[in-house]
Formats: sequence, C-alpha cells, structure tokens
Amino acid sequence: MTNAFSSFTQSASIVLVTLIISACGSSHNPSTSGPDLSKPYPSEAGGILISAMTAEPSGLISMIAGESASSAISSNIFNTLLKYDKNLELEGDLVKSWEISSDQKTIIFRLKPGLKWADDKPLTSADVLFTWQAVTDDKTASPYASDFQLVKKAETPDPLTFTVTYAQAYAPALDSWAGLQILPKHLLQGQDLHTTSFARNPVGSHYYKLDRWTHGENLKLSRNPNSVLGQAKIDQLITRIIPDNSAQFLELMADNIDYMGLDPIKYSRIIPARPELQQKLALYKELGNSYTYMGFNLKHKPFNDVRVRRAINYAIDKQEIIDGVYLGLGINIASPYKPGTRWSNPALTPYPYDPAKARQLLKEAGFADTDGDGILERDGKPFTFEIITNQNKEREKSAVLIQRRLKDVGIDVKIRAIEWASFISRFIKTGDFDVVVLGWGLGLDPDQFNIWHSSQQAPGQFNFIGYHNPTVDQLLEQGRLELNPDKRMKIYHEFARVLLDDSPIVYLSAGYGLTAIHKRVKGIDDPAPPAGIGHNSQDWYIPQPLRRNEISQ
Amino acid sequence: MLKYIIKRVLWMIPLLVGISLVSFLIMHLAPGDITSNESAFNPKASEESRQKLREMYNLDKPVIVQYGLWLKRMATLDFGKSFASHQKPVFWQTTDKDGNVTKGLIQEALPITLMINLLGLAITLLLAIPLGIIAARKYLGWQDRAITLFNFIGFSIPGFWLSLLLMYWLGVVNNWFPISGLHSLNYDSFDTWGKIKDSLSHLFLPVIIPSITGLAGITLFVKNGMLDVLHQDYITTARAKGLNEHKVIYTHALRNALLPLITIIGLSIPGLIGGSVIAETIFAIPGMGKLFYDAVLMRDFPVVMGILTIGSALTLLGNLLADLMYAWADPRVRRGVVKG
Repeated sequence: MTNAFSSFTQSASIVLVTLIISACGSSHNPSTSGPDLSKPYPSEAGGILISAMTAEPSGLISMIAGESASSAISSNIFNTLLKYDKNLELEGDLVKSWEISSDQKTIIFRLKPGLKWADDKPLTSADVLFTWQAVTDDKTASPYASDFQLVKKAETPDPLTFTVTYAQAYAPALDSWAGLQILPKHLLQGQDLHTTSFARNPVGSHYYKLDRWTHGENLKLSRNPNSVLGQAKIDQLITRIIPDNSAQFLELMADNIDYMGLDPIKYSRIIPARPELQQKLALYKELGNSYTYMGFNLKHKPFNDVRVRRAINYAIDKQEIIDGVYLGLGINIASPYKPGTRWSNPALTPYPYDPAKARQLLKEAGFADTDGDGILERDGKPFTFEIITNQNKEREKSAVLIQRRLKDVGIDVKIRAIEWASFISRFIKTGDFDVVVLGWGLGLDPDQFNIWHSSQQAPGQFNFIGYHNPTVDQLLEQGRLELNPDKRMKIYHEFARVLLDDSPIVYLSAGYGLTAIHKRVKGIDDPAPPAGIGHNSQDWYIPQPLRRNEISQ
Repeated sequence: MLKYIIKRVLWMIPLLVGISLVSFLIMHLAPGDITSNESAFNPKASEESRQKLREMYNLDKPVIVQYGLWLKRMATLDFGKSFASHQKPVFWQTTDKDGNVTKGLIQEALPITLMINLLGLAITLLLAIPLGIIAARKYLGWQDRAITLFNFIGFSIPGFWLSLLLMYWLGVVNNWFPISGLHSLNYDSFDTWGKIKDSLSHLFLPVIIPSITGLAGITLFVKNGMLDVLHQDYITTARAKGLNEHKVIYTHALRNALLPLITIIGLSIPGLIGGSVIAETIFAIPGMGKLFYDAVLMRDFPVVMGILTIGSALTLLGNLLADLMYAWADPRVRRGVVKG
C-alpha cells in the first residue's frame, strides 16, 4: 500500500542511497572471486529463491483477502481453471479443454484426469463447484464475487466436467475463471471463509505448498510433490516481509534477497552506477497492465465541454512527465489497453503537445484573458481548478508538471495530495472534485464496463468522473456479449477511438514494471514476453555452483 | 496509603471509558473505513460486496451504536477481531473447534516491542547516568562540553537516516550485522547459543539507535539533578565531615539526583509498549508501532481501539506507579500523600 510515511522515507532514502554511492562507491571492490555468473549452466532442480514484499498478506484465500500481497503468494499454491500463456492467450490450467455452447451462454470445462491436492485427496469438479458456491455465497463478502454471480446455473455432470450457464452470453467469463483460485472442498466445507484457519495454513494443488509462515517475518514455500502441472525447478521460495523499500534494497545489495521490484531511480541511476551490483544483478523491464491518468469531473463546468478537455490534453507535455517523473521508463498511450496486445488499437496516436492548438480551442470555448493577469476568464470567472491525488510521489510530481504547462496556456491549477482512505471516501465517492490524477490497474480482459458505462456512476462505483456517451455504452454492452476474439477486438478498438476523441481523461503514461533479479537465477526470458518475466517461473533454476551456501536446508 | 491506591485505581475506570469514547469518535470522524483501502479500488470489486463487508462489521450502524457494541464486548475484556488481518483476534489467541490456535495481533507484537524498548531503556540508563554524573562533576569543563556535544548530535540526527547509514556500513559493506528482520532464515537449525547470538545480532541496530538518540534527554536530567544537589547544604556538610569525594557523590548526592528519573521512567511505561513506526518499518520488525500505524491507515477500528485502550490503561497505571515510587523514595512526598 502506498502511504505518506513510506513515500517520505523512500524519497529521503533515495537521497541517502545516492549519497552513499558517491561517498563509499570505491570501498566495495567488485569481487572477482566466486563462480562466473554470466556463463551458461545446465538446468537443474534445487536451490532457494528469496524475495521480499512490503506488506504481509492478511490470509491466503485471495478471493477473501483481496490484496495483491495475498494473491502473489497464493498463486503459487492454488490453481485456476484457465490461465494466460506467455502471449496472453488463454490456455488450460486445471482443465484440459473447454467448450462454449452455440448460444454462447454455456461453458463446459473438462478437467485433466488424476488431479490431486497436496494432501493426496483427489481434486474433482466438486471442488470447482464448491469454490463457485463459496465465492457467490451470501455470507461471503468477496470483493470479486460480481463476475460469478452472473452464473445462473453451475453443474458437475461427472467428476471431470464442470459446466456453467449464464443468463446471457458474457464475454469476460473466461477471464474471470482464470482468476478464481480453486479451493479444496474436503477441508473447507462448513467453514466460515472469513475466519477459517485454512487461510494461514492452506492446502493447494499448484507447484508449491506453504511450509511455514512466521508472522511478520517470512513465508516459506516448498515444492509440492503432487503438483498437478509437473515439478517446478526451484526447491523453496522464501518471501521475506520488509516494509521499507530502502531496507529491501540494502538486503539486495548484501545478497540476502534475490529478487526485488525497483523504482526508476534504482533501475536507471543507482544500479548502473555501481559495477559490483551490475555484475551480480540482471535488470528486467516489462510493461504492466496499468496507466496513470488525469481525469475530469465531467459534471463540473467547464469540463463538460469537449473543447476544454481536448485543449488541456494538447497543453500537457506527456513526454516531459515520462522523462521527468519516470526517468523515461514509461510510454505514452492512446487507449486504456496495454500497448502491443490484441486490444490496443494501433491506429490511435496520443494527443501531441501543442500549446497553440490548446489556446485556440480554449478561445473557441469562450475563454479569454480579459483582465490581463495571465489567467483566462469566461463570464468573468477565472479558469482555475484543483487537482487532487493520493499521496503518491509520482502522481504528485506529474501534477506539478501539469500545473506548469497549464499555466502556460492561462489555466490556474492548485494541487492537493490526500491520504488514501480520506481521498476515496471524502472526494471520489462524493464526487466533490474537479480533476484527479490517479491510476488504473487492469485485468487482462478488455471489458471496462465498470469504469466507463454511464450506469456505473453511483457512489462507490468506478465511473466517478461521470462519463456518459451512448456510443460507448453500446460498445461496452456489445463487447460483453461477443465471445469471438476478432469481432470483440474490433468493438474495443472502436471504443478506444471514441474515448480518445472525447478525452474524458488525459492518458499520462504507462509505466514499466522494473525488476532486479540476482544472476544466479537462470532460465528467465529476456526480453520479457507480453505476459511478463514471471510466466515461466516454474522453469527458473539456480545452478548448484551459484547457490548460497550459508543457508542449509 | 491502601485507601489512596484503591481510590486512584477506581478513578481510572471512568477515565478509561472517557478516553475510549473520545478515541472511538475521533477514529470514526476520519473519512473512510476498512472498505476504502487500496485493493477496494479494483474495478472488479463491486460496491455491493463492500456494502456487505460494512454490514458484516456493523459499520453501517450509527457511531454511538458501534461504540455501545464495542463497550459491551470490552466489559468482558473481549478486544474483538481485526478487520484487516483475516479476523485475527486483536489481543489474545483463540482456539477454534478443530483446535487450531490463532494468535492475537497484540500478543505477537507486544513481546517484541517490549524487549526492544526495555533493552533500549537499560542501555540508555547505563550510559546516561555515568555521563550525567561526569558532566555535572566537570561542569563547564571539556568533558562536560564533549558530552553535551555528543548528546546533541545524537539528538539531532534523524533516527531513520542514522539507521540506514549504519545498515549500509555494518550490513552491506562489512557484513558484521544483519540488515533487517528479527531472525536469520535458518534460525531453527541453530543450537541455543546460536539462537541467542542470532537474536542479539538482529536486535543490535534497532536497540542501539533509539538509545543513542534518546540519550540526550536523560543525560541532561541526571546532570541537572546532580548540579542541583551538589549545591545543597548537606553535600557541603558531607564534604566538611571529611568524607571522600567518591562517597559524597555516589552515596549522598546521586540518590537524590536520581529522584526525577523515577517520574521519567514511570511516564515512559506507555512508551515501552508503543514502539516506533519508523524504526520498525526500516528494520522490518513486526512490532506495536507498525501494527498501530497500519491499523490506522486501513481503518482497522478494533485494532486501533485495542491498542489505544491498552496504551491509556498503561499510561494511567504508569502515572500511579510513578507517584507510588516517588512516595516510597522520598519521605517528604510520602507524608504529603498520607495527609491528602
């Protein structure tokens, strides 16, 4: 979670780490002893991979826990029916195949035969049905239930077949089944998912099983001999809980962890400046499924005027934000989809930086600087608004750059950063804001009904900017009904085009996910495929000569 | 004396209820609840499910009703269950019908914080008392100035900055001490001696840094107390009797100079369970400070209220204890107490 304190220590420690580099850079000679990290080694099983995360999972039933820390661990323990392959196409995980009925309302999943839980009990369609019942149960407050509540009927004709029938065709269905981790019925039946001790002591079917969870310190996973998908290479995954980013980085420098997510400064300044780090760490960058944007409250004047929204879009220099805030580690986007994937429309180009055009559009919208103070007015009222954002350093810095560019065209902008919970309940839910700088982290399915459809504007729903466009509404409805990927693609390409033209939000940047992994870990795809480097982590391996010797089994 | 203690303890009950009411109201005045955390801003998470969660935790009821429910539970010393940590008990462990024990959040965090703070306090006192005495005896001499300078440097350095520097120097450059955490990953494979050594080396930095930064205050207290006492007539008398300087300082002066310290130690009792968010975050220590801070950010009301209640009860007890210790140590106060 992002919060004031961690961003404070983070920025302070960035200064510190930079200081250290200049002060002690020479005291740590790159050691040339030890095995050669860069030469190729044959793949072999064994070894321990140690990583770190900033927050401890609340529990390992991720449909209840809801946070990313939980699913990061539980995705090693539980399987789903379907999964995405390296090119982000769906393939079977627990299922061998699936069929869609001709009316597109029923999906038949056929499970792989002989599946087993880690405790040797058989995994059958009854477990899948149980999981569906659990997530949709009225007593379960799962944040992700809504997709599954659309299932009208779920049946298990035999232990290897699971069928679901929807009231009407629902295209995001397959994606939702790729996100639901299947839980064991024999251990959870009759238990309250919100309190069960299973959440801290889970039994799954995937590559790993939980060995030990030391509260507040670490989680140790070891290979599950019953894994339904064959054996992973690495014996043990240890995840240490280290809340502070700088402390994590020090642990990485001291070789106590193998794997860590980086911020742009560490990625492009600190590590390249230190030969001994460069020698032992491999850096990876991959586009995530998220972007930062500036969104207008379309119910407030003058943001209901498309000319004003376009003018502001032209007035903001996105490349400047990418270079200044993300040190170039981001890209400019024109649709709310990850560039390079099927759903992203390659024909669209972002609004260029063009202040002259912005001034022109503002003039057309009736704005002029009548009193000569450098700020535009309309009907005697100056054009001034407030950007609010949560306390996220990158968003705050982006807002500052926006403030300056908008001042150039005569718009007076104030900035306010607010603690997350207050931000959500005091401003977003009530709609009491002019402009926000925020980000969306999205799933892999192109459906964005919840964000853009005009019916989704009630307090607590996600179309809080109040976007209403009948064409978009219709496209979003169509997209949910169309299961043919090619036809679906056309729908979402058109949706993205209308959205760009309407400019209800200004796309600021899609940032790269940055990772450092110790070079002792081999078998990582570089460059990252569309699904990211983690897609084949079961095949990563640590050759015997490169393993840590201080940690014995 | 006994009557006085009983009266003081009984007074604590309405005081505690008042404190808890105010904390409860302030906590609920802050916008947001457990459903407004970061993961709830996922477009897949529906508002209905958040409403369901609110109903489950009674967050849809008026604040005063929620307070009543909380008070009712507290009357049986039930601190409730955390919203944010898979409903772990806030205070002490519970056992479910299958015999699985779930430890309480405070139960897990408190011993860690207490140990660090007690060690820290002991080290601070062990250093501060001799330093204070030296500074008072060599008042305005170079020793006094050196101690003052050292103290103020320690006092002024931001703790997290010093921590990161020392972590880098002792952990990364030299590999003398572990950087963060409480135990090595292979802790279980050590013998008893190895375990003690491992724990101590992990505790070294988290304990030593607050001790250094906290040294200034206590040293000054000891020094000023000592200076006051050294100018009293009875010290002159003692010297005039021909007692050696050692006896004058350590037997006659020091005992009286340390009286104000009792108050300070009494007042620091609630601080002992508080823990520091910054230190615990940097050193990855699952202690009370981090627990409280995260609970506030997540709007995890039962945890916040649990810690505040225990904290205020301990503050009141600490005050009482300090008064009693003072009375025990100083006959003048004792007579005053008995009269009052």
